[in-house]
Amino acid sequence: MKLRGPVILALMAPALALMAVLYVVPLGVYFINSFHEFRDGRILPAWTLQTYVRYFTDPFSYRVIGTSLRLSFVVTALAVLIGYPVAYALHTRVHRPAARAAIALLLFSPLLVSVVVRTYGWLILLASQGLVNTTLRGLGLIQEPISLLFNMRGVVISLTHILLPFAIFPIYSVMDRLDLSLKEAARDLGAGWRETFLHVTLPLTMPGIVAGALICFTLALSAFVTPQLLGGGRVQVLPLAVYNSTVEINWPGGAVAGLTLLVISIAAVWALNALLRRLPTV
Amino acid sequence: MSEHSVTRGHGADVEVRAVTKRFGPVAAVDDVSLTVRGGEFFSLLGPSGCGKTTTLRVIGGFERTDAGEVFIDGRPMGQTPPNRRPTNIVFQRLALFPHYTVYDNVAFGLRMQRLPDAEVRRRTRDALDLVQLPGLENRRISQLSGGQQQRVALARALVNEPRVLLLDEPLSALDLKLRLQMQEELKRLQHRLGTTFIYVTHDQGEALAMSDRVGVMNAGRLLQVGAPMEIYERPTNRFVANFIGDANLIDGIAGGVERGRVTVRVGGGVVGARARGDEHAGAPVTVCVRPERLRLHASGGPPGALRARIEDRAFSGYVIKYRLAGDGLRLHAAVPYVGGAPLFEVGDEVTVAWDPDQAVSVGRE
Ligand SMILES: Nc1ncnc2c1ncn2[C@@H]1O[C@H](COP(=O)(O)OP(=O)(O)OP(=O)(O)O)[C@@H](O)[C@H]1O
Ligand SMILES: [Mg+2]
Repeated sequence: MKLRGPVILALMAPALALMAVLYVVPLGVYFINSFHEFRDGRILPAWTLQTYVRYFTDPFSYRVIGTSLRLSFVVTALAVLIGYPVAYALHTRVHRPAARAAIALLLFSPLLVSVVVRTYGWLILLASQGLVNTTLRGLGLIQEPISLLFNMRGVVISLTHILLPFAIFPIYSVMDRLDLSLKEAARDLGAGWRETFLHVTLPLTMPGIVAGALICFTLALSAFVTPQLLGGGRVQVLPLAVYNSTVEINWPGGAVAGLTLLVISIAAVWALNALLRRLPTV
Repeated sequence: MSEHSVTRGHGADVEVRAVTKRFGPVAAVDDVSLTVRGGEFFSLLGPSGCGKTTTLRVIGGFERTDAGEVFIDGRPMGQTPPNRRPTNIVFQRLALFPHYTVYDNVAFGLRMQRLPDAEVRRRTRDALDLVQLPGLENRRISQLSGGQQQRVALARALVNEPRVLLLDEPLSALDLKLRLQMQEELKRLQHRLGTTFIYVTHDQGEALAMSDRVGVMNAGRLLQVGAPMEIYERPTNRFVANFIGDANLIDGIAGGVERGRVTVRVGGGVVGARARGDEHAGAPVTVCVRPERLRLHASGGPPGALRARIEDRAFSGYVIKYRLAGDGLRLHAAVPYVGGAPLFEVGDEVTVAWDPDQAVSVGRE
C-alpha cells in the first residue's frame, strides 16, 4: 500500500501539533522576549537589542558558556571512552540473545530511576564520609578525603553515569552490523588483533561513536538537575542560568541565554552530522 | 610479481587429516582427508552447500575443527590464527574494506608486513596491473562493479605472494572473456611463483582445464581425488560420474568379472565395462559411459548390444546429440559431425554398443 500526501499528513498531525505547542510556540515566545529588556524588576515592552548587548558584553556569560562546554566535552569524552569497551565486550563476548537483553536492561536501568532520586544516591556515595571516599581510603590510595561534591567532579561523575547508555547503544548497534568477515580478511592479511581493531573495527564503528557523542553532548549541555543538586551553586551552566533568570522574572535575560544554548546545540549537531556524512558507511 | 619473489612464493604442502567441522547438527565437512603437494594446482569441485568454502576456511584458520588437523609443510596448525599461517584467501564474499580505496585494500597485507614504501607501491601496482585494474587505485570499493571488486579481492590476496593461496570462486563474477584471461594469468603466476593453489569453483570446465588434480565433494565428504582425466575416465562412484561431464548411468546386474572387466546384464542385452573391483556375480551395479563413447549402428552391432529408438536429435556444431530410449533405458549419445555422413532420423531403430574399455562400473550408491 502506498500512502498518499493527505494520509501521511493525517498520520503526522498529532506529532506536528505536539511539536507546535511544545516547541515552536515557546521558541517564539523566547524569541520575542529576547528583544525586550528587563529593568527595575519588570519587562519593558519596547523593542531593543539591549539584552543581547548586555549578555554578550558580560564576562560572566562567557564563564557560564565555557563551563557548559567544558562539562559537556568532558562528559562526552568519558562516556565514549568508557562506553566503547563495554559495547565491544558485549559485541564480541556475549552471543546469546537472552544474555544480551539482560545486559541491555542492566545498562539502561539507571534511567528507570527518577533523576532526583539518582542524584541523591550520588550525594550519599560521593560525600566526604561516603562510600567512594571510605573505599579509596581503605585501599590506602588516598589519605585525605577528596572533595567530590558541590564541584565539577561530582557533576561529571554523575552525568557520565547517566549518559553512559546513550554512548553504548549507538556504538553497539553499529558494531552489531559490522561485517565480521572484514575482521577475518584483516587477520588473513597478517594483522594481529590490535591492528585489526585499529585499521578495521575502530574506523568502521566511528559512525556509532559520533552518534553516541552527539546524543551525550546535547544531553550534557542541557542537563539541569545534576549540576543544580551536585554542583552546589559552584557549577554554573547555561540551563541553570536560564532557570535563575526565569525565576527572577527576567524573561529577556533567560531568553537570550536559552537561545545561546540552542545555538550551541545546533552547532554541535551540525558539526557532528557533517563528520558523520564524511565517514564511510558500513 | 617481483624479480626476487621466486624464493618467497614457493609453495607449501598442505595436508588435511580426517577433518570434521559441524555447524549444529550439520557436518559441513565430514571426515575429509586430503594432501596437496607444494606448488600444486588443486581444485575442489562440488554442488552448492557441499562444504567447499568450509574446507578452505579450515585450512586458512578461520574455523575450529571438531576433529582432525591441518598440516602445512608438515607442521600441525592447531589453533594458529590466520595471520600466522603462510596462507592468503580470496573470500567467496570478497570482504573488501569499504573504508579504504582500491589501492589501500591491495596494499594492506604488504603494510602489515612493514615493507618499505617503495616496495609496497611497486608490488601493489603490479598486482593491479595483473588483474587489469590500473587507473582505479583511488576508487572506493562501493564505486566498483562486481567483477572489478572480485579482481581487487584477487589482487589483495596474491600481492602477498603467500606459499599457499586459497581461492573461493575467485572468477565467478567475470564475463567469459575476462574469466579466460584471468585463468591464464593465474596459471602463469602459479607456475612462476610455484605457489600452492587450492581453488574452489562451480565451473567444472575451469577446474578440469586448470588443475593438476581435482577433488570432488558432496554433502561434506570428499568422494574422489585425481587428475582431471582420471576423474573423467574412472569415476569411482555414481555421484562423481554424474557431476563431472555428461554420463549415461546404466543400472544392471553383474555377470562375471574377468581380467578387470565386468559383464553386466541390462534389460535384453549384455554389456561390458571396466570393473571397480568390488563387483560379484548377481550383484546390482551401475555402468557409466560417456555420451561420446556410444556407438550407434543402423543394424547388427556386436552380440548382446542394446536396442533403442531415436527420440530426439540436436545439432550443435561439431557434434550431433541424440536422445535414445529402449530396453527400459534412456541414453544420450554425442556423435562427431563430419558432414556428408548419413544421420539417424527420429524414430529410427538402432543398436547401441561401446568398447568395454570405454565404460566403467561405478557401484550403486
Ligand atoms: N557459519 C555457518 N553456520 C551454520 N551453517 C553453516 C555455516 N557455514 C556453512 N554452513 C553450512 O555448511 C554447509 C557447507 O557450506 P559451505 O559454505 O562450505 O558450502 P560450499 O560448498 O562453499 O557452497 P557454495 O558452492 O554454495 O559456496 C552448508 O550446509 C551450509 O549451510
Ligand atoms: Mg562456498
